Amino acid sequence: MRVLIVEDERRLAENIARSLRESASYAVDVALDGEEGLFMAESNPYDLLILDLMLPRVDGLQLLNRIRQAGRDTPVLVLTARDEKESVVKLLNAGADDYLTKPFDLGELLARSKALVRRGKGKAAPRFKVGDLEINTLDHSVRRGDRAVTLTAMEYRVLEYLAHRPGAIVSKTELLEHLYDYNWEKFSNVIEVYISGLRRKLDNGSSRQLIHTVRGQGYILQDQDA
Amino acid sequence: MPKDSIKNRLITTVVIAQLLLAAGLVVTGVYYTHRRLVSALDTSLEGRAMSTAALVRYSEEKPPKLFFDADLARAGLDKEHPDLYEVTTDDGKVLARPANGAEEIPGKQRAKRGHWNFKIGGVPYRALVLHHVPILDREGDEPPASLEIVYATPMVAVNQQVRAAGIFIAVTSLLLLAITVVLALWGIRRGLLPLQHLVDRAALVSAENWEFAPPQEAQDVAELEPLTQAMTTMVDRLHGSFMQQREFLGNAAHELKTPVAILKSTLQSLMQRPRSSEEYRVGLEESLEDLERLERLLQWMLRLARAEQWAHGALRRDLELVDVAGTCEEAIERLRGLAQSRHATIHLASEGAAMLRADPEDLQLVWVNLLENAVRYSPEGAAVEVSVSRNNGGPARVVFEDHGAGIPPEDLPHIFDRFYRSDPSRTRSTGGFGLGLAIAKALVEAYGGTISAASTPGEGTRMTVELPVSTG
Repeated sequence: MRVLIVEDERRLAENIARSLRESASYAVDVALDGEEGLFMAESNPYDLLILDLMLPRVDGLQLLNRIRQAGRDTPVLVLTARDEKESVVKLLNAGADDYLTKPFDLGELLARSKALVRRGKGKAAPRFKVGDLEINTLDHSVRRGDRAVTLTAMEYRVLEYLAHRPGAIVSKTELLEHLYDYNWEKFSNVIEVYISGLRRKLDNGSSRQLIHTVRGQGYILQDQDA
Repeated sequence: MPKDSIKNRLITTVVIAQLLLAAGLVVTGVYYTHRRLVSALDTSLEGRAMSTAALVRYSEEKPPKLFFDADLARAGLDKEHPDLYEVTTDDGKVLARPANGAEEIPGKQRAKRGHWNFKIGGVPYRALVLHHVPILDREGDEPPASLEIVYATPMVAVNQQVRAAGIFIAVTSLLLLAITVVLALWGIRRGLLPLQHLVDRAALVSAENWEFAPPQEAQDVAELEPLTQAMTTMVDRLHGSFMQQREFLGNAAHELKTPVAILKSTLQSLMQRPRSSEEYRVGLEESLEDLERLERLLQWMLRLARAEQWAHGALRRDLELVDVAGTCEEAIERLRGLAQSRHATIHLASEGAAMLRADPEDLQLVWVNLLENAVRYSPEGAAVEVSVSRNNGGPARVVFEDHGAGIPPEDLPHIFDRFYRSDPSRTRSTGGFGLGLAIAKALVEAYGGTISAASTPGEGTRMTVELPVSTG
């Protein structure tokens, strides 16, 4: 999952980014002003946007309006220092999905971010199954049948993304775009490494294969043959 | 202590005035009645004395003798206390004596003629003496003789009438007094009604509702007009300063939330998982930096609050005379570091000494804030000009001119607003809180001066401060 933080306070943005990387295994990009934020939001497929309201150049509300008008339905979590009812109503009506008032709790921000990402992928429960594969997005634990599977952080990220889109073909570029921040291109060859690692760990001892390769198109996670 | 009441005071005044009036009426009424009755009595006394004189006759015998025909005498009006009379000839022959058996009517010697009053056994009498009254019953051959007649009649009836008149006037006055008090109470209550309406309306004013429209009936009362006007202006002024305070509080809270959010997120992300001691050290250092920023913001806010308090008249007056140009030099010295880092040069031109009663720290703070903006928003290596001048007897004028990007016209009216930042990213990265110019303005106004800004985008900004110079 890839998140964009648009926040002009560099320190705050860095803290949020670090927390999302460490605790949610998300790829995080940071934009320090509205203009940069708008450019990045329009040119990358993000799974979540964390948006400060008071921004230089293009303010948060303008940015929100612009990306919603452009037809992007990325979940948006707004950070605001004002918590008057009117401004909250205005925010939600402009297309924000959720908001947090400063100073907020980092744990709460994490939980809300995960929930928004889940909802954005059409899933409400933090634990879900594909066949006999069970993924818990809260503690990043994975089980195949009654066997616990231990994954590396990157393997988990690949699996989580595939699991959020079961039965759909996910291209290598899509994986790269959603799993790495802006300099993803240099990682283009490592996806195969993670996929083969995942296959080995997940399908080990199981009769059915879960991750399938669609030649020339990408990968698909499903409980049947491609 | 009981409250002083306008109503009670007015009523007391009315009652006292009415009582004085009643007393005056009783006294003059009694006096007048008494005089009228006594004067009527005197006339009747004279008549009765004359008719008594007519009872002195000459007898039929020869030579005729004078005698008093008592049988024909009238008893007088008062049956209990009959009239008294005494008839004597001029040569001292007593013809008639008082009927009560007394030798003579008392007081005759004292009053040679006219009227007098006396008492017999507690009964008041009024007496009249007539001298040289000729004998009316005379036929020509009798010896000429004249009479002295003393006639007295009781005053009991007169006194009773006078008393009755007095009581009547007193009772009428008291009755009128009671009616007046009732009317006055009603009138006062009605007269004070607009005041009550005004009070009701004023009671509606609160921190939530600043609407104050004095009721029409209060506006129509001439005596209440200054009060309603004063209240209207007072409410307006309070509203203004309340809104200003609230806005400041809102802005301050908003400004404080961001550094608190940073500090909180830094510490929480540090605690999210076990860290190495190096990570902890870096995290703590960062937290300390965040805290220092918070502290700086608080200092600025307190400084602004203090300056604004002074601007509202609390500035202390026991101040030394300060040379304006001198404080400018100090300020330039304080900004030397920043100027060097941006390769900026600051020129000071000063003509004529401008002395001012001020705290040099305050003036320096104003200049530092203005200079800091000028240096920060100028391109690297640009010059900033400061000039101090004084136009013949006018205020001291200090002008700061930079050659930076200038201020966009839409921002110009707001640059002295608290927490105003034309470009948040630029000022934040330079550590500004949008309070410097607000503080400068508050301080300048505290010293009775003015501050204004003019700017041409692309050419630079010109800040002008004018301060009234001290004459003494």
